Amino acid sequence: MSSPSEPAPQTPRTGASLTLLVFAMVVTLAAFAQVGLARDGGLPKGLFFYSVALPVLAGTAYYVVARFTPYADPVLLPLAVLLNGIGLAMIYRLDLDTSRTKIAAVAAGQKLAEDEAKALTQLQWTFIGIALFVIAMIMMRDTKGDQRFTLTPKTLQRSTYTLGALAILLLILPIVPGIGGEVNGARVWVFIGPFSVQPGEFAKLLLVVFFAGYLVNKRQALSLVGKKIGFLSLPRARDLMPILVIWLITLGVLFVQKDLGTALLYFGLFVSMLYIATQRISWVFIGTGLLALGIFVATLIPFLGHVNQRIDIWQNPKPYFDGGCLLDSGKVVSVAPDTLKPGENGFGKCLQLGGEYADSAQLLKGIYALGEGGVLGTGLGQGEPWRTPLSFSDFIFDSLGEELGLTGLMALLVCYALIVQRGMKTALAARDPFLKLFAGGVSFVLALQVFVIVGGVTRLIPLTGLTTPFLSQGGSSLMANWILIALLIRMSHDARKPPPQAIQDEGMTQVVMTR
Amino acid sequence: MDLDKPLRRVSIFALLLILALMINVNYIQGSEAENLRNDKLNSRQYADVFNRDRGSIIAGSETLASSKESGKSNPKYQRDYKEGLIFSPVTGFFSSNGGQSGLEVAYSSLLDGQDKRLTAKRWFDSFIGKPTKGANVVTTIDPRAQRAAYNALKGTTDRRAAAVVMDIKTGALKVVASYPSFDPERIAPQTGEKGSKELQRLDKADFKPLVNKALNETFPPGSSFKTVVAAIEMTEKGLNLNSTVRTDPLILPETGRRLPNSHEGGACKQTAPLISAFAESCNTTFGRMALDMKAATLNSGAAKFGFGKKIPVEPDLLSAESDVPTKEPTGQPLGGDNLGRSGIGQANVRATPLQMAMVAAAVANKGKIMKPYLVDKVRADDQSELYSANPQEFAQAMSSGVADDLKQMMLAVVTTGTATNLQGRNIAGKTGTAETGIGSLNSRWFVGYSPVESPRYAFAVVTEGPGSAATNAGNLAATIMSAVRR
Repeated sequence: MSSPSEPAPQTPRTGASLTLLVFAMVVTLAAFAQVGLARDGGLPKGLFFYSVALPVLAGTAYYVVARFTPYADPVLLPLAVLLNGIGLAMIYRLDLDTSRTKIAAVAAGQKLAEDEAKALTQLQWTFIGIALFVIAMIMMRDTKGDQRFTLTPKTLQRSTYTLGALAILLLILPIVPGIGGEVNGARVWVFIGPFSVQPGEFAKLLLVVFFAGYLVNKRQALSLVGKKIGFLSLPRARDLMPILVIWLITLGVLFVQKDLGTALLYFGLFVSMLYIATQRISWVFIGTGLLALGIFVATLIPFLGHVNQRIDIWQNPKPYFDGGCLLDSGKVVSVAPDTLKPGENGFGKCLQLGGEYADSAQLLKGIYALGEGGVLGTGLGQGEPWRTPLSFSDFIFDSLGEELGLTGLMALLVCYALIVQRGMKTALAARDPFLKLFAGGVSFVLALQVFVIVGGVTRLIPLTGLTTPFLSQGGSSLMANWILIALLIRMSHDARKPPPQAIQDEGMTQVVMTR
Repeated sequence: MDLDKPLRRVSIFALLLILALMINVNYIQGSEAENLRNDKLNSRQYADVFNRDRGSIIAGSETLASSKESGKSNPKYQRDYKEGLIFSPVTGFFSSNGGQSGLEVAYSSLLDGQDKRLTAKRWFDSFIGKPTKGANVVTTIDPRAQRAAYNALKGTTDRRAAAVVMDIKTGALKVVASYPSFDPERIAPQTGEKGSKELQRLDKADFKPLVNKALNETFPPGSSFKTVVAAIEMTEKGLNLNSTVRTDPLILPETGRRLPNSHEGGACKQTAPLISAFAESCNTTFGRMALDMKAATLNSGAAKFGFGKKIPVEPDLLSAESDVPTKEPTGQPLGGDNLGRSGIGQANVRATPLQMAMVAAAVANKGKIMKPYLVDKVRADDQSELYSANPQEFAQAMSSGVADDLKQMMLAVVTTGTATNLQGRNIAGKTGTAETGIGSLNSRWFVGYSPVESPRYAFAVVTEGPGSAATNAGNLAATIMSAVRR
């Protein structure tokens, strides 16, 4: 790599991108074919439909990228298509099980998860996600027209505070009675007619814009040194205000929405961007300290018991299997169905005992799915990932681990690592501080989200409810992540295209604009 | 101000986060997978096994347990047992609520194809998408003798009975029969709810049909234990079969009561050669020996035969512990009446049929006991051999001289002693009639070897009921051994 401040002009890599994209399509469609071959000994009936739908969607996405951002990073789009496709194939595979193995298992009296995987819905969301990607790419294209109406990542800086306010609004929506609601213990949903949306997924992106815009303005002040203790250069006391505000908002999310994962995500994002903007490592220490304090306070507050308990389940999940009751003494009593009398339920029994009820069966079943997979996995369509509740959303990573094995999971993690790395490279190559922060923040928030959810379902950290980017079933997440990829692609195009003075070059301009 | 330096650091941190995930996933799926699959909360191992083509359990040319496709999707395979009542002490059971016993549990990972020894094969299988076929377990059991043994046991008692026959040169178990028994097919996976109910019923039924009495139930060995006492005494005092021993009445030290002989007169009067006292089973002789040698010597001498510890038969398949206590049930050191009665296999001495067969094996095999085993070979579906039994010495329980004397003494039991009814049946052994403390019911034993000339098998049979050992257990043993020798 050349000097980051003056990146060498890049040539368009659209050919390489297309090759990778074709490869991603082949992998995805092979996954679909494998599901059918493994389950029924023949190609699945839906394969034709999917093998038309997916290439058309991916092809359209490729066309807009090649058309409007030829200098864009060639790897980002194929990676997103690959992850989305693998997730879709897995959901398709789990959806098929809804109809067959599951029914047989129910007939044999075995207990199953209740929610269902819906492949067709997910394909629709993929369509909408890629459509949003295309729309975003078109909206952000280079125009000759009035600069005031141009929308590029850079121009978002103008609306820093508007977007910040919008982010806060989106965060508050799930708490509003009537439209907000709680699913699986976390109040992060908004119900609009037949649709349910997780506004937090979009708030995440808006917050990155807001943080980037805010920090670019204030970073000079925030990096001023107050006291110096040892190697730490502490900021001035009055500069602590912004981080305290964000901390309080985060705690609000934690307390009201009972969503530790989201809280961790926003706070981690802010602290990391603060560090990038100011280069003051002291901010990281202050941030970590505040977060630890927040979580500690949360574990002390009785009605937030489940934060405390999630940590306990993480360390010691087995007593909670199929229902456990954490008593004040710190002892865990099993209230699993086979320990109860007829007519009792675990939750009620636990209330009687004066303890807090929780169930670790989902987490352990997910881990057992990973164990079942081993190094090579059972093969797509040949495992039993449906035994884990939410195997298609929160726990899709474990489902993939069962059928694709360690090998497959490593490949998926490498895909995420590559997206993050490409995003970070975009940030390094960007010429504008706002764009650097924007791209860096977007990349980091993706890495952090993958860490929090994948770490949760693999018992590296306590389990919290976040979506697995591109893989989980769910529309909000897909839409937000496709927009994220659109932003990164656009920013990488800006960073990699020949420097501005080259635009004065007539031939070049003509080529870019008229093709 | 330059943003690139912190950006690079954050970028490295982000990659470290993903690296942490990778390491964790490697740990879980690479090194913990086996433990997770076998975790007892993991219901997959139970649900899964019914959908796997489990290997067969084979004895001789007969298949004792096998899986075949059920035609349903869950369970995909049903488990069939041939003559389950007869062979269940060998096969054990395998049921849908997670319970297993016998070889079904001891060799479960090989039977269902999950064992590491099958791994090389499985890698290839999983590549070509072929479901794993489990390995076949070939037992050492002689199916015809096992059948004869079960049918004979059934005819001798309405309580409990068991028989063990062991090859003295290798330790291979030829017969492991237990009564009352159960049919594993009635609790196999395909039976669903009905099977779980049957398993619950069996668990509570009289005389515990689920317990393998040949390996896992202890009985008072009675006079058959005199073999052990004689071996210890001969070793300690340097006696041989012609040494004179006292057979006169014995007054027990604590209560002053007499230890009765089964009969007065014959050898059991004043003194007799050891061989006669043994053949006629004089209680006073062996009671006195026990009192003289003290509890510790009796206990450590018996330990050489395997008493006092669980006897490993196969990995995860142990025989129950036989016991010669050194303490009264109250915790007092054993020294009085009960020590004297221990010498004749009463008081609190208890032994499994397997343990007594091992005592007989030591007698017949110059003092050497081979480690008992039940599985001869394990073969993968393609007939490649995954495991082959390797006979091992369990213990040298006594010198070959003492053993040879005892061999003759056991023969004298049949020619001149308590079991003359067995003359001409080509077996030798020691009778044992132990009071069980329940009415007039005895544990009736016959423990010995066969054929008489150059012995090859050691056996122990026990059956509960009224009456003496020679007619009940002796005839039983003779019937079983003629089936084994054939």
